[in-house]
Amino acid sequence: MAQSATATYDDRRRSFLSSLYSFGKTFPGLMAMLFIAVFANNLPGVPNPFTLSNLFAWLDGVIGPLNHQPMFQLLNSNFVWNPLLLGLIIGNLFGVPNIWKPGLSYIHMLMPLGIIMLAPHFIVPHAAKLGVWPIIICTGSMFLTASITLALARVFKLDDRHGSIIAGGLSTGDPHACAILMPLIKAKGGQVVNAVICVIGFGLISMIVLPMVGSMTNIPEKYMGLAAIVGVGNGHQALFAAFQSGYEAGRFAFWFDIGRHVIMPAGFLYVFIFMFIRKLRSPNNSEIKATRGIKRFPIWLGVFIFCWILACLHLFKEPAHHAIFNMVQWDFSLAAAALGLSISFKEIIAVGYKGFIVTCIAGFLRILLILGAIFLCVKTGLLPI
Amino acid sequence: MEKKSHTIDSTGFDYMANTGKEEQDRDTCGIVLALIIISVLTLFQYLGLY
Repeated sequence: MAQSATATYDDRRRSFLSSLYSFGKTFPGLMAMLFIAVFANNLPGVPNPFTLSNLFAWLDGVIGPLNHQPMFQLLNSNFVWNPLLLGLIIGNLFGVPNIWKPGLSYIHMLMPLGIIMLAPHFIVPHAAKLGVWPIIICTGSMFLTASITLALARVFKLDDRHGSIIAGGLSTGDPHACAILMPLIKAKGGQVVNAVICVIGFGLISMIVLPMVGSMTNIPEKYMGLAAIVGVGNGHQALFAAFQSGYEAGRFAFWFDIGRHVIMPAGFLYVFIFMFIRKLRSPNNSEIKATRGIKRFPIWLGVFIFCWILACLHLFKEPAHHAIFNMVQWDFSLAAAALGLSISFKEIIAVGYKGFIVTCIAGFLRILLILGAIFLCVKTGLLPI
Repeated sequence: MEKKSHTIDSTGFDYMANTGKEEQDRDTCGIVLALIIISVLTLFQYLGLY
């Protein structure tokens, strides 16, 4: 089927713009993506109060904060997962009409577009204020977590696409990385959503476990903030863990979070390059499925790296940086709506629970290593009190 | 069959399939659009338009 579709495309192709099809053909699908995005998020420029995001915010107000964090933020409600959730519900309850499908194929254009526009968001020099050792701990933790997760995925014979997506999400401490890695790893939608559930699920466990283990070590509150950021990740889950250790830990978690955030692209680039080289070394190994179909380094990823370097050189000043990020919110919301529509609940469940076991083992190992490293750094004076 | 109903239409077109020349073209569209948006927004800032 896919081959005949490709042959048809090659026949009617006139330029690269042929991949956008005709306006009439794509309009229904694009409208479906637009309405899901607009009713899921408070998107810049859209004064719509009836959004899933506002519903969650209202429920957060009813429930009240948990360790100063809104509950739905702890469950990772954001501009990617709200439309994905809405798309999943609509697609599974009502199905996806054929007339939408040409427009929904724009997801493949929106993914590289959004990822490139994300580059100005990661200004590495912003982390310089943290000092050398917190930066080393953040960076080391990221690469170590990714490596441990990929190794464990092999031990547990996990599909390497699923393992790679988990490695990206867990190591960067941001489930967004799972979606970013999807086109790079060539993972299935069900594997991506399953991996996100693994990362968020483990985050909910670790935000309770990390402060409990940390309290046995006498690490100062300031550095429990750092431990929460690198040991839990996932934004509000890390802040929950930090505030559980104390108010100072919570305040310093905000301070240290920049160290995890700005190097995030290095995390998903590492996972992609690692899996890409592995596939190039064993081109005939049928067990290696990750990055299968990618014959050379993607040009758009090169453009992303180029823009990231420009961002680090402070080319994109504050207003432009925020305006570009607003466009990212639009882009990812539309893409997530299409992704949600493409997945059935059965596909997510069919991926299985082994990914969660791998996530938990890798995550708990990370917590122990992080607490050990911070404890040693404090005792040796590398991290001043 | 479950996946088919979600992503493949009656003509055999699968909107989640992304391979070959079509994939390269979609990537090119994404790159061109991203560079236009980033350049315009950055240029507008340097020109003091916001």
